[in-house]
Amino acid sequence: MLLRRLAFSLLLSAAPLAASATDYPLQLQNCGHTLKFDKAPASAVTIGQAGTEMLYALGLGDRVSGTSLWFNAVQPQFKAIDDKVPRLADNDPSFEAVIGKRPALVVSQFEWMVGKEGVVGTREQFHDLRIATYAMPSDCEGKNNLSGADGTRTAAYDVNTLYKSIQQLAQIFDVEARGQALVQELRQRQAKAVTQLQSPRLRNMSAALWFSSADLSIDPYMAGQKGVAGYMLQTLGLRNIVTSAEEWPTVGWETIAKANPSMLIIARMDRRRFPADDYRKKLEFLKKDPVTRHMDAVKNNRIVIVDADALQGSIRMVDGIEQIAQAALELQAPAR
Amino acid sequence: MLRILLLGAAALALLAVAVLLGVAIGETRLAPATVFQVLANQLLGARYPVDPIDQGIVWNYRLARALVAASCGAGLAISGVILQSLLRNALAEPYLLGISAGASTGAVLVSVAGLGAGAVSMTTGAFFGAVCAFALVALLAHAAGSGGLRNGAQIVLAGIAGSQLFNALTSLIITKSGSAEQARGIMFWLLGNLSGVRWSDTLLTAGVALAGMAVCAWHARALDAFTFGTESAAALGVPVRRLQLVLLLAAALITAVMVSIVGAIGFVGLVIPHAARFIVGVRHRRLIPVSALMGAVFLIAADVISRTLIPGQVLPIGVITALVGAPVFAAILLRGRGGRV
Repeated sequence: MLLRRLAFSLLLSAAPLAASATDYPLQLQNCGHTLKFDKAPASAVTIGQAGTEMLYALGLGDRVSGTSLWFNAVQPQFKAIDDKVPRLADNDPSFEAVIGKRPALVVSQFEWMVGKEGVVGTREQFHDLRIATYAMPSDCEGKNNLSGADGTRTAAYDVNTLYKSIQQLAQIFDVEARGQALVQELRQRQAKAVTQLQSPRLRNMSAALWFSSADLSIDPYMAGQKGVAGYMLQTLGLRNIVTSAEEWPTVGWETIAKANPSMLIIARMDRRRFPADDYRKKLEFLKKDPVTRHMDAVKNNRIVIVDADALQGSIRMVDGIEQIAQAALELQAPAR
Repeated sequence: MLRILLLGAAALALLAVAVLLGVAIGETRLAPATVFQVLANQLLGARYPVDPIDQGIVWNYRLARALVAASCGAGLAISGVILQSLLRNALAEPYLLGISAGASTGAVLVSVAGLGAGAVSMTTGAFFGAVCAFALVALLAHAAGSGGLRNGAQIVLAGIAGSQLFNALTSLIITKSGSAEQARGIMFWLLGNLSGVRWSDTLLTAGVALAGMAVCAWHARALDAFTFGTESAAALGVPVRRLQLVLLLAAALITAVMVSIVGAIGFVGLVIPHAARFIVGVRHRRLIPVSALMGAVFLIAADVISRTLIPGQVLPIGVITALVGAPVFAAILLRGRGGRV
């Protein structure tokens, strides 16, 4: 019996390692491009925090030769690795700064950075220099980045695009077992958070998620239906009072106040370009404004503060789902 | 005298109806009875039981917004009247002086480049940008012309140069910005947006609009004289240089304040004076109040349309003023062929 149990637990712990090694040459489809790799890339430059932290989580920090486009501080568990990697730019790096690192691969979070109209460069420009490019599927699958300022989602965000990017990067770098383990961990954590909220008392709770605003009292950027944040609310069974299909539509305070959601979620970020980037200013506005101060969520302090990075198509999204689920449980808001 | 009083009462009634419509129509549907009850509570001290959110929407959001729209519309229209008369140029409007471009640069500097690190609002940035741009354009025009601002063409050209310079600076800052979200936020603001206005803005904009009207009304005869050119005005005993300076400053300040509060709303200063001239003729004693009234009603209507055209989404008001204003302008031009427009 003891032997059987030992053998079973050994099998379980070895399961992620059972993933096969990558067969090179590797060919895979990525955002309308066919990528070919003869071997695992020796080094990569990342444009976007999501891809950077994904590579760190896959244990590939030593392969990252430069990072850029940071929204917040790096996750604490990756600080030691990140300190050793040159930061090419806090925002978009120049084309030459990227190629100057002689990377074998460029991993980009957004197509507006590297894509048909990419501000850093087009994928072809990198390919001409024999530098492979990888774009995050979460930003191109079900999304048209050639329309609208932030691109337009043609289909709702699908979390499988996040898992796909982890698995494909793991495959490219020949660390498939680590990729599978990471995906498994994220899936399990999300499922646990969702299960926690399956209480009848919390059924039909509504929510609104305020990211930021171009100026404090004007129409705020709210989570729409089709974006990552919209997916998070939907997955948790919270009714998003913003009905727009857009990812981050601007919605009037009049509409939000009239919908009177059970809970308000506000984003916390280090960025300080708009006054409303500061979550304390957001709270101050909500409590002072003659209309919003009468909202149930404000009067009863049913306000949750979530890290802005947890609202992106990144591994941090699960942190956000856990945070919102936990807050909903603690707030125990009555069903509306 | 009775005729003037009657006309004045009719104008005020028209304005009141426009403001009422601006209060009654919005993003969400409120029963007319609720709107009436809120107004009665606030204005007549009635005690109807009204949901506090509805109360706030009607009184704090919509009424303040309608009054600011009316003040901005009136102010921008008056600025247009002044500039078209002073510069004797049918295409003259507030933005010609580079004020809008300067306001845009100021707002972008604050929000995208992080000047003031969140302590300075875009409104403050826009105001300083507008004043700086106007100062630069005026200096350039003064340096270029031997007779200062005597030649309208010089300030028009200086305004175009200033606008180009500030538009380039705005583009430079936006291009270097970190995210598409910011560029979208700025674009939305630059095209005009009244969603952030509150009662505190009402006093400022109404005060500026009324002061602008008073300055214009005081100089109505001089403005009539300027329509025939500076030399004719001088011959009629108008202190040309002093009045040019006063009136230009008035137009610039009115525009700077309005643009800093609601963003760069185009077309009002260009279209409304022409439309008003078509109705009441070129004499400024009539042209000024009629332009102010038409500008006020036009901007309230444009704001209502911007809030209701696409359900659940607010359009920049500048889009509506251009979409409505351009065909109206074309119609005025066509109807006025060979006429006085």
